[in-house]
Formats: sequence, C-alpha cells, structure tokens
Amino acid sequence: MKKVISLFLCLTCALLPLLTFSSCSVDAPEKFKAYYFDYFDTATTIVGYAKNQQEFDAVCEIIKGELEFYHKQYTIYNSYDGINNICALNKTVNGAHKELRVDKCIIDLLLFCKQLYTQTDGQLNVAMGSVLSIWHSYRNEGMDDPAKAQLPPMDRLKDASLHTDIEKIIIDEEKQTVFISDPNVKLDVGAVAKGYAVERVVQTLIGEGITGYVLNVGGNVRTIGSGNGTPWQVGIENPDTDSEQAYIELLQLEDKSLVTSGNYQRFYVVDGKNYHHIIDPETLMPGEKFLSVSVITTDSGYADGLSTTLFLKDFRDGMELIEATEDTEAMWVFPDGTRKYSSGFKAFCQ
Amino acid sequence: MENNRSSQKRKLKNDIVLAVVIVVIAMAGLLLFNFLKTPGDFVSVKIDGVEKYRYSLSENVDTVIYTGKDNKQENRIVIKDGKASVVSATCPDKICVGHREISMVNESIVCLPHKVVVEIVSADSGAKEPDLVV
Repeated sequence: MKKVISLFLCLTCALLPLLTFSSCSVDAPEKFKAYYFDYFDTATTIVGYAKNQQEFDAVCEIIKGELEFYHKQYTIYNSYDGINNICALNKTVNGAHKELRVDKCIIDLLLFCKQLYTQTDGQLNVAMGSVLSIWHSYRNEGMDDPAKAQLPPMDRLKDASLHTDIEKIIIDEEKQTVFISDPNVKLDVGAVAKGYAVERVVQTLIGEGITGYVLNVGGNVRTIGSGNGTPWQVGIENPDTDSEQAYIELLQLEDKSLVTSGNYQRFYVVDGKNYHHIIDPETLMPGEKFLSVSVITTDSGYADGLSTTLFLKDFRDGMELIEATEDTEAMWVFPDGTRKYSSGFKAFCQ
Repeated sequence: MENNRSSQKRKLKNDIVLAVVIVVIAMAGLLLFNFLKTPGDFVSVKIDGVEKYRYSLSENVDTVIYTGKDNKQENRIVIKDGKASVVSATCPDKICVGHREISMVNESIVCLPHKVVVEIVSADSGAKEPDLVV
C-alpha cells in the first residue's frame, strides 16, 4: 500500500508542473503584436494569434495595404496624384467645387454618413468641415505655441456654421460622382471615416477566413473572433489621468467593436482650460456633458459615429437612441466620474 | 494480530493524510506563485514598431529616447516605483506626457509624432491581463 501511495505522490509531483506549463505546447498559436503610425493620423496596433511570425506578418501586410488605401481615400488633409479623395472634393476652383468621379468606397462612406445624419437627428454631420477646420487650425497653433493659444472667434464660427447643410453634398450613385453645391460647405469625415475604414478592412480579413485578430486604430477597436479561444480582454482607459486605476472597465469582446470618444486625449489649453476636438454643432464649442462615452456594437463605423454622437447628445436622448438600436450598448462617464450604462453593457464587463 | 492490523490501518490512514497534505501544499504553493507574480515585468520601448530598449519595471530608470532625423526628437522616460511614464518630450502634441503612468501588462503610452511606444510587457504571456487598454 505504501508503495502505491508513494507512487501516487511521485506521479503527482511529476505531473503538476506539466499541468501549469501545458500552455506551452508546440502547436498552440502564439500571440503577436505590430504597430503602425502612418494611417488616419493616429497609432495602429494589431494583436493576433498566428502559428508563427511569418503567418502574422502576412496578415499584417494585408491590413497595412488596406489601411493605406482607405487613408488615402478618406483623408481631408492630403491630396494624392490620381486619387479623387475627400480632400479633392473639398477643393474649390474659381470659387466652386468640382463634380468628381470617385472610388466606390467614397460613395459608400458618404451614403453611410447621410444615414447616420438622419438617425442622429443631425447631430452627426460630416458637412461641418468649415466649422471644424477653424477649430483645427486654432488647436494646432495653440499646441505649437501654448503661450499664444487662443479660442476661435465666435462670429467666425457662426459664419462658418451657415454652411453646414448636408443636402449640399450631392451623390450620384449611377455616375459614381460627388459634387458639393455650396462652395463654402466642406466635408470633415473625421468622426466616422476611421471606424468605417476599419470595418471594411475587417470584412476583407473575414472574407479571407482570418480570425483571432484585434485592430486598434487610434482607440477604434474591432475584434475578429476570439483571442485563442477566450474573448479578447479590452480595458477602457480611466479618463481621470491622475487616478491610480488604469482602466475603469475590463470588457470581454468577440466579433465586436468598441469605440470611446473622450475629452482627455486630443485637446489644447487656453487660459488653463482644456478644449478638445469634439465640437457640438449647436454651440459650436467642444461638448462638455461627459468625460467619455464608449460604444459597443458589431460595426466599427457605426460605433465610431455613435460614440461621437452620444458624446454630444443629452444623456436621456442618447440612452433612448441606444435602447432603440439593436446590438448596441453604451457607457457614459460624467464629469464627476459617475458612470451610467445602457441595459446590456454590463454583460460585456468582467 | 488484531493490534497489528489496526496499526497498519492507522499507518495507511496517516500516509493518505500525508499525501493529501503534500498535494494541497503543492497546489497552494503554485497558486500563490501565480498570484504573487508581478503584473508588469518589463518596460518595452519601441521605435516605429520595433523594440529598441527593454527595462525591468522594478529598476529605476531616467533616460531620454532619441528618434527622427539627426536624433533630434526626444522623449524622456522615467521608471520609478514600478511605474513608467514619459515626463517630457519635444513632440508638438505632448499627448505622451499627459498620459497616465503605466504599470499593468499591455498598458502603453504612444507618442505618435515620434513613433515611440512605451509598453508594459510580461515575461509570461499566459497572465490574465487585458489584451489592450484603450
């Protein structure tokens, strides 16, 4: 009997380490990470499980190619030879926009934006370019020379706001052309394009049968499948940067997008006060209702647009919108740090 | 005879108790070992996506990372008390300087203009940590 017991003991001691290191088996996919800095004026992180570095690199090459393509199509800041992109649509010649034949992806994006405009009662308006460009230049000057940082004059903003009618953006699906009929109306697709592009990239990957990846394009997170059999763990950063707590929620995501709109990243300082980049179409000033709003839904473009919208909408209206929309959850962080959730949000929390 | 058998039985019982105790201690030890493992082990500094420097999160570091043409772009990185932060930088937006101190695995500070990423990485990737913090 003694022998049996000692044998059992020996076996247990021998097997225990195996138990803990079983995750190191040879065939198990490994986790890889890559970083890019050249797309959508933000940092891109790719996390994925692959058999080896080569397999991961091959997937990253697809993602890079796609991101570069959409970046060039959707940017409002740069024009490229041979591409009629959003920046080209915004240009005027002899005081008028030109009707341009564009890639199908621009038609699709703008139709999506018009649909969002209707759905958000005009809160998400990509025809706000004339207002946003004023903020953009004051913010850039303020960051370059903080001592001379200034707010844009309200009368300039008000003048610009007279030219934000989305109906002036005329899309001809058949001819595949876009024309802006008011020379002072400008497109700014910043609230939607990044997320919309990420969703298209992901659809390409899914079409290739790729799964087990997360794309994070400047906080625009889209998960494809799970992380090696378990849901992806995504922390939402604490908007209170002085707090010890790194993240306020840890979410488990599978085939879902998460986008957070917050006031704590892109901003400049005038007279000791922070002015961030999400501008309310009604006040023409940065929205001040929340520190951040996070949205979970499948489609990344939708998540991107909705998080901006909710950041500007009254809490009640925002909640109403979310509860009336399927497969969509949100979390609001109020200036005092209080958090409120839509009915299904907590199901994603740990 | 009877006596002998009962003493053998007692021995057997003791042996089983001993076996169980040893197994329980071993299990508890392993659990404790896993539990006490520090959450963030290293600070990885990547330039344009490639790791250039790696520091232990437990050491004290105060260093300047130079990047760009003629190495004129600077990010000063400080590691202290198990936390890493960018305390100053020559980038235009200063988002990296405004970022909180990081200490948990997979937390990162990004300086977009300089293409610098400061990230906490674990020696053991099996740890139950977020895949991303955004």
